[in-house]
Amino acid sequence: MSKYFPLILFILFIGWYLSYSATRLDRLHHRVETSWANLDGLLQRRAAIAIEIARSDISDPASAMLLTFAAHQARDASFRDRSQAEMGLTGALGILIESADDISGPIEKDLILELTDLTAKIKMAIAMHVEAVSRTHMVRKKWFIRVFRLAGNAPEPVTYEFEGDVL
Amino acid sequence: MPLSKKKIGIVCPYGWDTPGGVQSHVGDLAEYLIRQGHHVSVLAPAIDDEKLPDYVTSAGRPISIPYNGAVARILFGPIAFSRVRQWIQAGDFDVLHLHEPAIPSISLLACWAAEGPMVGTFHAAAKRQKVSFAVVPFLEPVIEKLTARIAVSEAARETLREHLETDAIVVPNGIYASRYSDAHVDPRWTGNTLGFMGRFEEKRKGLDILIAALPTIISQIPDLRIFVAGPGDSKEVLKDIDPYLRDRFSFLGRISESEKADFLASVGLYIAPNTGGESFGIILAEALAAGASVIASDIPAFDSLLGHGDFGTLFTSEDPADLARQVIALLQDEPGRRAIAERGKIFAQNFDWEVVAEKIYDVYEMAMVGGNGVSLLSENRAWNRFLGRQQ
Repeated sequence: MSKYFPLILFILFIGWYLSYSATRLDRLHHRVETSWANLDGLLQRRAAIAIEIARSDISDPASAMLLTFAAHQARDASFRDRSQAEMGLTGALGILIESADDISGPIEKDLILELTDLTAKIKMAIAMHVEAVSRTHMVRKKWFIRVFRLAGNAPEPVTYEFEGDVL
Repeated sequence: MPLSKKKIGIVCPYGWDTPGGVQSHVGDLAEYLIRQGHHVSVLAPAIDDEKLPDYVTSAGRPISIPYNGAVARILFGPIAFSRVRQWIQAGDFDVLHLHEPAIPSISLLACWAAEGPMVGTFHAAAKRQKVSFAVVPFLEPVIEKLTARIAVSEAARETLREHLETDAIVVPNGIYASRYSDAHVDPRWTGNTLGFMGRFEEKRKGLDILIAALPTIISQIPDLRIFVAGPGDSKEVLKDIDPYLRDRFSFLGRISESEKADFLASVGLYIAPNTGGESFGIILAEALAAGASVIASDIPAFDSLLGHGDFGTLFTSEDPADLARQVIALLQDEPGRRAIAERGKIFAQNFDWEVVAEKIYDVYEMAMVGGNGVSLLSENRAWNRFLGRQQ
């Protein structure tokens, strides 16, 4: 009996380690989802502000059109086209803010302030999301996780190509 | 800022009784958040339970162990672990903020035991050590549980990237900028004076580099005087100095917070010749806020804090000749020196708690999205049930 004891211990340890790794991976997948939900929410808010800016006195008719178009595109984009669309919106907002340096009126100032605030938050949200995704990728690549299929049916997280610093 | 009051748990790994950068950062942050109406509880090791502020819970007596080139007063072990778990259970926090979770301490234990929204702040900047190859496999799954990571400087972020291959958001350390900008100029310390602060006996603070540069400086600026503030034995330093330099030194010993502000606002030039081991350089932020002209070694932390030389002058680290040249140039160019200091004073507002704490709270908010508060890890719960421990 006693000669099987180390073997039993070993099997128990393997069992514990597998369950531990599965929990770890599950937590990571959860993080990918929550960080995406967070980022998505912030981006939606940015699109809403963009439309408000387009309607305000800050923008001339041409940039208002451009901005409205970009904001709607960002909202309607499928997951695949999302980053492209968001970058388009970033560009449109950037042009507007750069050219409109003498912004007057409390409402307009508030809008711009809210936008800069939001931009900082979006940057953080991107960093958190990218981190979660790359971590998950890394853990999923481990051989025992693949062999024992610890990821289960969870879909492979998609790296969101967002150039965080262009905002 | 907050529409709803949150329960925030902060873990400080170092002994609360000993002064230190992390401790004062945690204390200031906790007090700021409490003023904003949040419920804050800090868990920290402490020697004397009686003297603790209301918001600090003691996790037990710290142990002094050598770590990373200095003596760290930290705490770990099974008793500490059960205290940490009790604290998490009782606190019912919305978010947990762990400081320096990558060193063996109660922060690491808390990170191990808890589940839910967690934010980690990394303070240290260190070169990659061989031993980290051995500990990283253990640390990785634990550190990974942090929802968001904060580094106090680019140097700390770089360290984190090298050691644990993970990125962080940079949020600087905070200061109460108004405390410094309202400081009074004290005529005792003005004129052609150099100010130095810190534990001057420690080699990495670089006082000996300043001493080596002095003969050259004095040949150009004959009325130069040097004020050194900070704890230490001045006789030890003075006995190795050339006698004709000795009477130019004044040692002020440890000075109070308000004296410190006046000191920084008064000296002709504040000098930080540190050779390394700095992650952020809070004293430089304070000096800038007080409107001081600053000269510092070009170690990464100082280089980034001084905006690569925009808000203070940098000299080649551990090079007394370069230091001497720069000091002479600065002391002979009053308007130029003032202009840099003016820019620095404005820039230092970025380190004010009003700004920094809001940024930290933004990170909290992000970490809290989709979370239902902090709880003990379910794995631990299962084991506890198995072992018949009380929940």
